[in-house]
Amino acid sequence: MTSLRRQLLVYLLGGALLAALLAGFLTYRAVLRESDEILDYHLRQVALSLGAQRFGGDLPPLDAGEEARFDLVVRVWDESGVRLYQSHPHSDLPGFAQLGFATVAEADGGWRVFSMQTRGNVVQVAQPLAVRERLAAGMALRVLTPFLVLIPALGLLVWLAIGRGLAPLAEVAGAVARRSPGSLTPLRLARVPDELRPLVAALDGLLVRLGEALEVQKAFTADAAHELRTPLAALQLQVQLLERSRDEAERQQAVLRLKAGLQRATHMVEQLLTLARQEGAAGEFAAVDLHALAAQAVAELAPLAQAKDIDLGMAGEAGRVELSGDAAALRILLANLIGNAVRYTPQGGRVDVRVAHAAGEGVRLEVVDSGPGIPEAERQRVCDRFYRLADTEAGGSGLGLAIARRVCERHAARLSLLDGPGGRGLKVEVAFPERP
Amino acid sequence: MRLLLVEDDPMIGESVHLGLGQEGHAVDWVKNGEAAESALGSEAYDLMLLDLGLPRKDGLGVLGGLRARGDDLPVLILTARDAVADRVAGLDAGADDYLVKPFDLDELAARVRALGRRRAGRADPLLRHGALSLDPARNAAALGGEPVLLSAREFAILHALLERPGMPLSRAQLEQRVYSWKEEIDSNAVEVHIHALRKKLGAAWILNLRGVGYYVPKQPPAP
Repeated sequence: MTSLRRQLLVYLLGGALLAALLAGFLTYRAVLRESDEILDYHLRQVALSLGAQRFGGDLPPLDAGEEARFDLVVRVWDESGVRLYQSHPHSDLPGFAQLGFATVAEADGGWRVFSMQTRGNVVQVAQPLAVRERLAAGMALRVLTPFLVLIPALGLLVWLAIGRGLAPLAEVAGAVARRSPGSLTPLRLARVPDELRPLVAALDGLLVRLGEALEVQKAFTADAAHELRTPLAALQLQVQLLERSRDEAERQQAVLRLKAGLQRATHMVEQLLTLARQEGAAGEFAAVDLHALAAQAVAELAPLAQAKDIDLGMAGEAGRVELSGDAAALRILLANLIGNAVRYTPQGGRVDVRVAHAAGEGVRLEVVDSGPGIPEAERQRVCDRFYRLADTEAGGSGLGLAIARRVCERHAARLSLLDGPGGRGLKVEVAFPERP
Repeated sequence: MRLLLVEDDPMIGESVHLGLGQEGHAVDWVKNGEAAESALGSEAYDLMLLDLGLPRKDGLGVLGGLRARGDDLPVLILTARDAVADRVAGLDAGADDYLVKPFDLDELAARVRALGRRRAGRADPLLRHGALSLDPARNAAALGGEPVLLSAREFAILHALLERPGMPLSRAQLEQRVYSWKEEIDSNAVEVHIHALRKKLGAAWILNLRGVGYYVPKQPPAP
C-alpha cells in the first residue's frame, strides 16, 4: 500500500476502533464488578428484611402475571428443612447448600444466591447473573456509541487534512514538471510545510549542482568545437596545397603534411573523447599494480623516445606497488604524463618514471624530465583544458594534463607540477592517498 | 605583395605560408604577438594576416597598437572565433577583413588580392597599362591580348612596377616585395628576372634609371 492517505486512514481509524473496543471492554468489566457489590448488598438487604417476617404455610406465590418480571427469587425453609415459601413456582434452583453468597450455574444461566438463617428459618434470595451482565453491557455500549459515531467523522477529517497537507507536494511536482530541461534555477516555493522542506532543499541543491555541471558541459562543448577548428583549418589548407602541387616532389611533401594534420586531428578527437569519458566515468576500482602499469606505459612510449634520442626508463626499486584504482584510467594518466615528458623534452634529454610506496605515505608516481619545465606562473593554468604554453612547437591537443587531472581527482590523488632536480626540467608528482 | 602572417599554429602557418607563396606573395611568418610587433617595426608590409588567439600578445592588442601608431596597413583577421560579437570587435578594432577558420585557401588568396587592390586605390581586378594587362587572381599576364607566360617571381616584380608606372623601385625595394626573410637571394636575382621580363615583353616596357632603380614608363610603349 503506497498511498499515504490510505495508509494513514487505516492506521488512524484502526487505532480509534481498537481504543473504542478497549474502552468498552474495560467499562463492561468495571461496571460488572461494581454492580456485583451493589446488587450483592441489595440481595443481602432483601434477605435480612425477609428474615424478620413470619412465614406460614399459606402464603401464596407471587402473582405470575404481574410479578413474573421481578427477577428476585425468594425461598424460605424452616429448621426441619420444610419449605415454607417460594416466590416463583418454577424451582430449578438447588436446595440451599451453604449460607452466605454463592454463584450457581443452572440450565437457564447463572444465579447469584444469598442464604441466611434467622430465628430457625433459612431465607434464600437469588437473582439471575444475566441482570448484572445486561447492566454492564448497557454501560459499555453507552461508552462505545460516541466512538462509533466519531470514527467516520474522524476518517473524513483525516482524509481532508491529509489532502490539504499534501497539496504542497502536488505544487512541488507541478513546479518540477513545468520546468524546461534548460532551466535549472532553484524552485523557491513560497509555502512549503516543514516535512517537505528537506525534499525541496535537496531538489534545489540538485538543480544547482546540475546547473553547474551543465554549464561545465556547455563550456566544454563550446571549447571543443572551437578547438577543433584549428586542426580542421589546417587539414583544409593541407588538402588544397596537395591539389595545387605541380610535381611529384611537391605532391609527396603535401601528402606528408596532410598525414601529419590528420594525425593531429585524430589525436585531438581521441583526447576529447578520453576526457569526456573520464569526466563522466565511474569505472570499477580494483587492486592494480601501478609499477607494472608504469613499466608498460614506458615500453609503449619507448619508440617515440628513441626517435628523439631520449633516455626514457623506470627509476627506483622494482616490485609490486599496489593501490586501489581504475586500471584503464591509470593507463591513460601514465600515457599522458610520460608522453608529455617525452614530447616536450628536447633531443638527447632524459625522462625518469618512478613509482614508490613510502611507509606512512601513500603511493607516489613521479615523472621527471630534463625539458624546458613550466614557469611557476603557468603551472596552475596548464591543467586547464586547451591551455597550451607559448612557444611550444609540439602541437598537442592541450588536453593531456586536463585528462590527467581528472583521473587524479577520481582517485583522490594530488597532481603537482614541481621543478626537476637542480631546478631544471619538470617533475610531475601524483600522490595517491594512503589506503585506510 | 609582401605579407606578414601572424599565426601560432604550426600547421596552419606552414600551409598559408606555402599557399600564398605559390600565389607569388612574399610571406613572413611569425608565431606570436611580440614577434609580429617587432616585424612590423622593421619591415614595410602590404598586408598583415592576423590570428587573434596568440601567445604573448593577443591579436587584437597587436592590431590596436598598429592603429594607435596611425599605421593604415591593411589587416585581415584569421581566427577560429566565429561569434558575431567577435567579428564586430575585430572589425571595430581596425581590421579590414575577417575570415573564420577553417577557410578556403582560394578565398584567402582572393581576399588578399582585394585588399591589395584597395590599398592601391583600384577597383578593377585587372592591372592595365596600355597593351599590358595583369590578372593577379591567376598570376596571368597578357600583351595586346596575347598571353605571356611569367614565373611567379617575374609576375611579382612586374606587378610591383605596374602599380605605380613612372615611379622607379630600387633593387632592394623589389627584393623586399618579392622575397620573404628566409629565402636566399642571389645578388643578381632581381636583374635576372628583369632581363627575363624584358625578353618576354620587349625592352621598352622596363627601363633602368641608373643608380635609382627600374620603372615602367608612364607613357606605355606603342606595340
